[in-house]
Amino acid sequence: MIEVKNIEKTYRRGDGTPVAALKDVSFKIEQGEFVTIRGASGSGKSSLLNILGCLDTPTSGSYLLEGEDVSHYTDTQRSHLRSRRIGFVFQSFNLLPRTTARENVELPALYTGRPVDRDKVLFLLDRVGLGARSQHFTTELSGGEQQRVAIARALMNDPSLLLADEPTGNLDSTAGQSIMELLTELHKEGLTIVLVTHDEETASYAERLLFIRDGVIATDRSQPGKTSTTSNHSERQS
Amino acid sequence: MKVFLIFLMALRSLARNPLRSFFMMLGVTIGIASLTALASVGEATKQETMQRFKRMVGNYNIVNIVPGAARTRGMPSLTTVEPSLTFEDAKALARDASSVAQVAEAQNAFDIDVKYRNKTTAAAIYGISSNWLEMHSYFIETGDVILDDDVNSLARIAVIGPDVQAALFANEDPIGKQLRIANVPFQIKGVLVSRGAGPGGSSMDSIVFIPVTTASKRLFNRNYLTTITLQLKDPDNPQTGIKEISSILRGRHKIVPPIEDDFTVSSPRATAEQVSDVRSTLGTILFGVAAIATIIGGAVIMSLMLIAVSERRGEIGIRRALGATRSDVMMQFLIEAATISFIGGLAGVALGIGGGAIAASQQQLPPVVMWSAILGAMLLSVVLGLVFGLQPAWKAAKIDPIEALRS
Repeated sequence: MIEVKNIEKTYRRGDGTPVAALKDVSFKIEQGEFVTIRGASGSGKSSLLNILGCLDTPTSGSYLLEGEDVSHYTDTQRSHLRSRRIGFVFQSFNLLPRTTARENVELPALYTGRPVDRDKVLFLLDRVGLGARSQHFTTELSGGEQQRVAIARALMNDPSLLLADEPTGNLDSTAGQSIMELLTELHKEGLTIVLVTHDEETASYAERLLFIRDGVIATDRSQPGKTSTTSNHSERQS
Repeated sequence: MKVFLIFLMALRSLARNPLRSFFMMLGVTIGIASLTALASVGEATKQETMQRFKRMVGNYNIVNIVPGAARTRGMPSLTTVEPSLTFEDAKALARDASSVAQVAEAQNAFDIDVKYRNKTTAAAIYGISSNWLEMHSYFIETGDVILDDDVNSLARIAVIGPDVQAALFANEDPIGKQLRIANVPFQIKGVLVSRGAGPGGSSMDSIVFIPVTTASKRLFNRNYLTTITLQLKDPDNPQTGIKEISSILRGRHKIVPPIEDDFTVSSPRATAEQVSDVRSTLGTILFGVAAIATIIGGAVIMSLMLIAVSERRGEIGIRRALGATRSDVMMQFLIEAATISFIGGLAGVALGIGGGAIAASQQQLPPVVMWSAILGAMLLSVVLGLVFGLQPAWKAAKIDPIEALRS
């Protein structure tokens, strides 16, 4: 599904001195995995996320997304990858201001050039538990609800990979927990999820943990993965 | 499909920020409104001028040939013209010029004494062919016009203008009376309807018409003409006719360039168009100011768009993350700029038509709706939006999504 081989990412400071954000990073993520990338700020996890999300390209090394080496793709090619293969969930939700929940979920479809499937939009909003609030403006929604809209939006083009960058970072613990439960459910339905966080509690939902420190993968281990705590979620899965 | 969706999105985005959108279009609206108003008032003035000219010239769709080169000034008269234009020329044109519907001949002199009993007045004497009066839109008040029979028989009859009537026949019916033109007796056959002042400001009513043959053989003893008037088959296109006429006359007069023509062909229509096309300096300045206002409107769009792009960095980052390419972003902002400019232009056209109609009615001009100007204004507003939207759109497209999402 994802294969990262010897990826390096070097930035240049204002004065021209190079700073290595990622040094020789390699790992594989299989289809359907739920992986957490943990690391302190400045560890290189954002750089890694940007490369995984095809927002950025590595300085060297290769990134295979579903067997396709995309490490040297052009800006336009990467835009198409983001459009069709990758769903983003951000810490600050990043919904468009002054738009409704429905309009936000429709947005990714716009850039595929295909007509918007309204039924799917409503289905996805229903799936994240906001079926009744599709016409609400984003400002009328709570943080947890906004993040649900963002998740529905990320799923609009049926991505092969969902990238979540601190999805609970701006939420209180209850709302954060319910977002993590929603992600866990989606994972159980077969979605590949890569979660970036520095929060241990959030990280504990994943089955596998990549710990990044100073631009290298320091730890790569499996963990039990916190399945949903309430039984009704499990029932929905079966 | 995508373009259409992006267009709808641009509309929504403009609607989301009504105040900003309003200020964006304001400049274009004012500019386009003044351009449209000025254009329609200008066109109304032009049409009014043409109308007046038409009334003055009488028949508007004629072509006149006078002897002498173009630099000869003033009204032609037997005493001032070269004897280069002949009866034979007129006949040849009637026969050979395929663009010509009919030909009228005239031989005239000014300030000739006209007497009735003990009263004397000075009038212009026009020896004319029978079709001349109609071609020049002179109409008969009482009596009758000059007929072919009169011309063929060298009849000593006259049709007089109202000024001559007033000067010589204060309390009498002039029809049938005998007056003397340079001591040659003529019987009055008709009196004309008043035409008022001519192009030079002098009265067009102090005039006597007689058959051209009579004038040539019995009055002036001259065998050349002062004017040949032609009616073209296609009056809307005088240039073709003028070319043909000129080449026939050049052939007959054996004129080979670089020798200049010994005749001048002109059309009142062309002259009128020339005259009414001359815009006043003030009009030109106003037009320039309006054009500058429109361009400033475009610049306003550009600056507000630039601000909007900065404000919407986050939105642009989100769109890029969700799969928008640089060109998608560029197109979005270009479409927004063009759309707002077009809406501004539309409002401007509406205001301009209204303002132009009010201005025209105050000057008692006919209201004119210039579709070409309206279409032009709309096109201009779209182009303006695209041109001035280019830089903001380019700036938006260049935004790095990673940077934009971080902020």
